[in-house]
Amino acid sequence: MFDATREAFRLLFSGDPEMWGIVAVSLRVSLTALAIAAPLAVAAGYGLAVGRFRGRRALIVVLQALLSFPTVVVGLVLYLVLSRRGPLGAWQLLFTPEAMIAGQVVIALPVLAAFTLAAVQGADPRIRDTALSLGAARTRAACTLLYETRFAIFAAVCQGFGRVISEVGCALMVGGNIAGSTRTITTAIALETSKGDFSQGIALGFVLLVLAFGVNIALAVMQGRGGEP
Amino acid sequence: MSDPLLAIHGLTKRFGDGVSLLAIPSLEIAEGACWIVTGDNGAGKSTLLRVLAGLEPAGTEAASFEGRPLDLANYPDRIRREIVYVHQHPYLFARSIAANIRYGLARRGITGLAQVSRVAAAVAWAGLDRVAEVPPARLSGGEKQRVALARAWAVSPRLLLLDEPTANLDATARAQVLALLQEIAIAGRTVVVACHDRELIDLPHAEQWHIADGRFSRRR
Repeated sequence: MFDATREAFRLLFSGDPEMWGIVAVSLRVSLTALAIAAPLAVAAGYGLAVGRFRGRRALIVVLQALLSFPTVVVGLVLYLVLSRRGPLGAWQLLFTPEAMIAGQVVIALPVLAAFTLAAVQGADPRIRDTALSLGAARTRAACTLLYETRFAIFAAVCQGFGRVISEVGCALMVGGNIAGSTRTITTAIALETSKGDFSQGIALGFVLLVLAFGVNIALAVMQGRGGEP
Repeated sequence: MSDPLLAIHGLTKRFGDGVSLLAIPSLEIAEGACWIVTGDNGAGKSTLLRVLAGLEPAGTEAASFEGRPLDLANYPDRIRREIVYVHQHPYLFARSIAANIRYGLARRGITGLAQVSRVAAAVAWAGLDRVAEVPPARLSGGEKQRVALARAWAVSPRLLLLDEPTANLDATARAQVLALLQEIAIAGRTVVVACHDRELIDLPHAEQWHIADGRFSRRR
């Protein structure tokens, strides 16, 4: 245990290319997924918060239910869709980073949308009224409201990042933990540890913690500045 | 006789449970008119202003703005740029006072030098020079109200709707805001000011209206 920890720190600080390569794959996949999911989810969350249409309440219930959707089931469905005999089998995406990105988009969407919904519902109703009354069209008023609540929206994005960077079920199923291609922090920890290689697992676990804490600390700092403009 | 600036016939507004809040057979605001609308809390003053500003839906038999039909249920953006509503407790965007004033100007395509000069004029008009660099969150209630008035004044709306602009202000702040309202009225701007009976505002050539039990009537 002690040796494994010492080896883990050696890996961390010696710039071990394999280990940092895994971190890079994780970041690339998760950040790409977030970049795709965020605009869609923020628009959906805003629409659900502000819109007055039939079925809105039902959609909100569905959205909240999706928050606890197991990532491994997302992986399973995506696996079936992308596998050679699946409807999208011809695209040959299974066990590629793109498949993992697709899975993480699906996982991030409800998280981002639900947190955006909460942020917009919790926003001061005068923001939208003021924007509209000063002559803003509805889309511009939406942008203004999202800008005024940007820290809450950024918190939603951070929640989404936390969820996708740390999920293992879907990444493992549709990524396959292929070294140098689809091996991410979480799949590496899960599989290397089961093979008895603790040092890489500890090092990667440390990186994951730093990422998770780092994002939240950055958010707290930004919110602190936002509260005192 | 020319068309009134804003005319609404058969205005009805109900609460969610169907109870009637407003039932106004006819309402015509002439160009250059100055209306003071009084009524108790909950009488429907704010609701009326919000309906006129397109911030709340209401039922109407017919409505027109400058003689052209106006659909209050599907409020057009074009009219939003003509009618400005100022909230009782104005919300100032979390950006500088100048940026707050620029917001409405930018929505009307006023940019560049024209924008800069209008912002400067609005800041001077509302006597905000001394606090121009203060973040909105640190302004007093009276200063916030004056920024909101400057923000609305800058875009020269055809119709200005002010919801209890002097409520909850101390004597000095109230006097400062009243002075701005006087200037707006003297300049011949079309303005509707809602106020509580206790805070009755007197403006030059103002028509007094009263809302009680959903009915809207002229006061003599």
